[in-house]
Amino acid sequence: MEQPLFRHNKPGRSVTFDEYRAEGGFVALAKAMQGLSPDQVQQAVIDSGMRGRGGAGFPTGKKWSFVPRNLPGPRWLICNCDEMEPGTYKDRVLLEANPYSLLEGMVLACYAIGVRHAFIFIRRGYEQAAANLRRGVAECLQAGLLGENILGSSFSCDIDVHVSAGRYICGEETALMNALEGKRANPRSKPPFPAVKGLWGGPTVVNNAESLANVPGIIANGPEWFKGLARTPEAAGMKLFCISGHVAKTGCFELPLGMPLGEIIEGPCGGMRPGSRFKACLPGGASTPFFTEEHLHIPMDFDPVAKAGSRLGTGGIVVFDQDTCMVAATLNLTRFYARESCGWCTPCREGLPYVNHVLETIEAGKGSEEHITILREHVKLLNNAFCALAPGAMGPVDGLLRHFMDELREHIVKGRCPCKKDLCQN
Amino acid sequence: MIPTQLRTRLEQHVAAAVTSREAAVQVMKELQGHYGWLTDEAVGEAAQLLGLSPLQVEELATFYEMIYRRPVGKRVVHVCDSISCWAMGGESLLAQLAAHLGIGPGETTGDGMFTLLPCCCLGNCGESPTMMIGDNLYGWLTLEKAVEILQQESRSMME
Amino acid sequence: MSLQKGFMPKLIIDNIAVEVAEGVTVLEAAQSVGIHIPHFCWHPALGKAGACRVCAVKMVDGPVKGIQMSCMLPAQDGMVVSTTDQEAMAMRRQVIEWLMINHPHDCPVCDEGGECQLQDYTIAGGHGLRSYTGKKRTHINQYLGPHIEHEMNRCIQCYRCVRFYQEFAGGTDFGVMGSAGRIYYGRVEGGQLESPFSGNLVDICPTGVFTDKTARFRARYWDYDMAPSVCPHCSLGCNTVPAARYRELLKIVARRNDAVNGWFICDKGRFTNSVVNDPARPRYPLVDGRKVGWDEALDNLLLRIREFGAVHGPESLAIVGSSRLAMEAATLLYRLFAGIAAGSLCYFTLEEEADQARAAITHLNDATSASMGDVQEADLIALVDCDLLQDGPMMALAVRQAWRKGAKIFLVENDVAPEAQKGLPFEWQSVSLLSDIPIREARKPVIICGRGKGMQDVAPALTSGVKLAYLLGGPNAFGAALLSAGHGATTLAQAVASGKVKGILAVEVDIPPELLQGISFIAALDWRATAIVKAAHIVLPTTAWVEMDGTYINNEGRAQRFKKVMHPGLPIMGLDPAGHPPRRHETAPPGGEPRPAWQVVADIIERTGTERDVQPLSGQWQWLRHLDAESPGQRIWQNMKQVK
Ligand SMILES: Cc1cc2nc3c(=O)[nH]c(=O)nc-3n(C[C@H](O)[C@H](O)[C@H](O)COP(=O)(O)O)c2cc1C
Ligand code: SF4
Ligand code: FES
Repeated sequence: MEQPLFRHNKPGRSVTFDEYRAEGGFVALAKAMQGLSPDQVQQAVIDSGMRGRGGAGFPTGKKWSFVPRNLPGPRWLICNCDEMEPGTYKDRVLLEANPYSLLEGMVLACYAIGVRHAFIFIRRGYEQAAANLRRGVAECLQAGLLGENILGSSFSCDIDVHVSAGRYICGEETALMNALEGKRANPRSKPPFPAVKGLWGGPTVVNNAESLANVPGIIANGPEWFKGLARTPEAAGMKLFCISGHVAKTGCFELPLGMPLGEIIEGPCGGMRPGSRFKACLPGGASTPFFTEEHLHIPMDFDPVAKAGSRLGTGGIVVFDQDTCMVAATLNLTRFYARESCGWCTPCREGLPYVNHVLETIEAGKGSEEHITILREHVKLLNNAFCALAPGAMGPVDGLLRHFMDELREHIVKGRCPCKKDLCQN
Repeated sequence: MIPTQLRTRLEQHVAAAVTSREAAVQVMKELQGHYGWLTDEAVGEAAQLLGLSPLQVEELATFYEMIYRRPVGKRVVHVCDSISCWAMGGESLLAQLAAHLGIGPGETTGDGMFTLLPCCCLGNCGESPTMMIGDNLYGWLTLEKAVEILQQESRSMME
Repeated sequence: MSLQKGFMPKLIIDNIAVEVAEGVTVLEAAQSVGIHIPHFCWHPALGKAGACRVCAVKMVDGPVKGIQMSCMLPAQDGMVVSTTDQEAMAMRRQVIEWLMINHPHDCPVCDEGGECQLQDYTIAGGHGLRSYTGKKRTHINQYLGPHIEHEMNRCIQCYRCVRFYQEFAGGTDFGVMGSAGRIYYGRVEGGQLESPFSGNLVDICPTGVFTDKTARFRARYWDYDMAPSVCPHCSLGCNTVPAARYRELLKIVARRNDAVNGWFICDKGRFTNSVVNDPARPRYPLVDGRKVGWDEALDNLLLRIREFGAVHGPESLAIVGSSRLAMEAATLLYRLFAGIAAGSLCYFTLEEEADQARAAITHLNDATSASMGDVQEADLIALVDCDLLQDGPMMALAVRQAWRKGAKIFLVENDVAPEAQKGLPFEWQSVSLLSDIPIREARKPVIICGRGKGMQDVAPALTSGVKLAYLLGGPNAFGAALLSAGHGATTLAQAVASGKVKGILAVEVDIPPELLQGISFIAALDWRATAIVKAAHIVLPTTAWVEMDGTYINNEGRAQRFKKVMHPGLPIMGLDPAGHPPRRHETAPPGGEPRPAWQVVADIIERTGTERDVQPLSGQWQWLRHLDAESPGQRIWQNMKQVK
């Protein structure tokens, strides 16, 4: 199994610049600087069928193509490395092991879109990854792979590393632009879309770190190669899945898109941990509706997961065993979202604490049928929030209502939490 | 008053930024590093460096989780309370740590050494439960392991 | 969607066909056919924010479908909108319920009650029962100065206040802090708000977070006496609605006029009610300090004028008006002057103010005069010799709006005193001469002139296409200048300098003491307790602008009518408890003697026997009688062929 992102990894440390270069790193960049036009680079990414790895799964090449060609004034590329969605830690693992494929991918993206100045927006807490990136930037500048006239071409570009101070909403692309500009990180309204009017009013592309790190592979080996990496014909490329929770072996694995959920758990994760039986999981991070046993056969790719009623999201799989109270788990998730709301719009700022309150009431055994109705209404109405945070927050609640109604009702009927786990002391 | 060296460095950050505001988070963090928390004085200094009003700095400072506008201990212990850690017993860990330190979440120990703060996902979910002290992430925690880490941290502070 | 100029999208809202200009939102399109969609964060002057989510409508057909926020959505061809759809109503009801989770149920003790948007929508949306049983969030309030009360618990986080304060008005000491459910609007620490426009927070807050401290707990909305009015505190003529009760002017709020002040007014115009309510202002006719009835006072005045004329000659009497005198009385002054054959007629006291007003009526015409609406649309603005925040604060706000849209602002350095450059809410470039400014390169240039010598340079810069605005001395300075020019009046300073003035009939005018030396007789009409009123032998109390109908012509030549809001009289609030209830039985309230200046002047004219049934605004001013106070006003050039 080819692992374009992890193939350079060294156990227990990060790969060095020289190692990366010696093992085929920067080949794609050289190829582009010597013989490819920006349009060709963009076309290759379009043809590869790669969909963004940041959560929404938007085709990366297509996003680039939205940037108007001949607008005067600066345009920008931002690598989104905010990664604060619970259950997600793939970008950290990627960058702690190897900052270079991201940097190479960013230079290629800048070349394709015509960007002179790019940013990496990285969260607080990823100090090791940020240090790697800063070191990588310095090394690339030194080696003429970044800065003025890259590899002797007429193309120049710089990359800045911006370390945030911690807020989940900074990962939302328009909030991120406000954060980068030094403003409060409230999302901006769309339209205008960032590709037309983004950072400091200029055309801007925001891509996830994993998306950008995949670009060198596509350029070096061609779009068909990339497509062929996936398990199913509809999918394209490998994906970083990060698994946490009650499996035997947690970790971040580079696996072909389209691999069934059950196979991921049984294979790389070595099954459930001793004494645990699979009950449910978040298939793609904290904002995705739960999957249950009946979903273990679902191929982990954007469309099949969506068709099964959830989202591939970030690829952060959080697995729960038989002792987990799903009401309590959902409450933990909505509490996170209520706390991380930016406070801009009413549904999120006021609605999520309301949902917390209802779940707390049910979990405490004081719930009633009316509370279920309130939850249903909120799943619907929180879709009308200003940005995707609040709808995301309701993903798990939606899953709870669809798959765990019996468990929910049991709380109400018994007047207490029916679960064994000491976490739920009620 | 901040040391000239720090001031010069911050002025350079501001000058290198596309707009001075862009450097706001970095300036706040470095001032916090200097004072231990973002003091009122630091807010004023940040405002002056960034060409903003103190209120405009406050608007940013109060937005971020990792900017402290109240005094904190010498070490802030961030214990993750998000889903993966919760599933692996993070809630009990926080409670036990609080009992061990004799403080509630959000409080500082009497000797001014530790402030205990629950925090959102630290991106270390594969090794949950997790905590962060300073720039260091610690995973696979048990109470014993966490207590040992705290002891190490206080020892390193003493030196 | 077509981008052709003049393209008008056609859409259907609740089965009504609507055609609107391009760029207009669905919310505004609905408003244009009388369908009111609830909204908190959207405000016509601040635009969209999309924060409150209460303006939900259902898009039934067309380019977008489903529940949408009508404030965020530009109207497009073929849209079919329902505001009464179940789903849309459910969303709007839920938003109200969310907002009411934390809003205190304190309407009975809230000063906003009765004029509160949240209260209205809560009732309209039918949210009456609470299913949330948790605690309410509470905040600590701040002291924001003597004018504005802060009650953060009532906040619904619509972001209007901070968007107005920082973005629209350029203030930097008030803003939004915290995140999630802990959003807090305020200052770093309590203290007086610095912006000269801070009072607009009161108007713009849809609920009771910011209330006018000076009027708190005095009356409910339905108790107010209100009428359309015009601010008398500078020459810009911002439109207002004063609210009064029990003969007390309680507060003043802004009234929309897009050509003049837009939606806002400055704090000077809002928080200067105390002069009107001052129990010690002239309330009774006085002769030599003795309270008398009107008849006795007027008879006495006529007698004194005759005696005075016999001693000094009638030409030694000066009749003096001012730029704060409304047109009604100002136009009568000449008739009095002619009737008693007085020696001098003055509409201005000092030369400087007169010069500047004269320049304004000389250079301005319908094409060259810049309204504040024009200033907001300018792409280049030159500031010559003006102290914007002193002489016309709202003009500074207008300049800021142009600057926000990208206009270049130039300031002729030599002419603007350094202290007048402090706190201006926009950035500018300094030049040393007006001629250094690339006015010709601009599409919509405006020059703004204040008082002083700098204005002499302006005339040569007046090429075609340049608009001009003056900051004049008082609310009717323009009118006074027209009358002064028309009647060949002099200034009091000149008249006094000639040495012939021995007596003064002062009609709502402030006169510096140096002009009063050698004056042996003073009669004063005024509603303010000025120095000249104190020095006068005869005092005839007049009504304040809120106590009468009247007309001012503002700095751009726009005539605006203001209506009587309240009866003159001692406010109940200020009455000495010992004198209350009144022991004497009268039809007029205590202290209710003051009469509009024009009526007093008309009376004097009638008593001289030269005219009968004297009415103001006759002849070339007759058109002003038909001016509608609810209209945006009318510029003089459209109504008068020959102005001078
Ligand atoms: C609340 C919220 C948080 C987000 N956080 C992240 C993040 O941490 N990293 C990320 O890449 N995308 C995040 N996204 C998605 C971004 O808005 C954006 O879609 C993504 O960065 C685009 O990159 P891609 O096209 O490469 O996937 C977030 C979205 C929302 C609504
Ligand atoms: S849904 Fe609204 S309050 Fe929540 S994060 Fe998005 S904009 Fe902010
Ligand atoms: S959930 Fe704890 S580190 Fe992610």
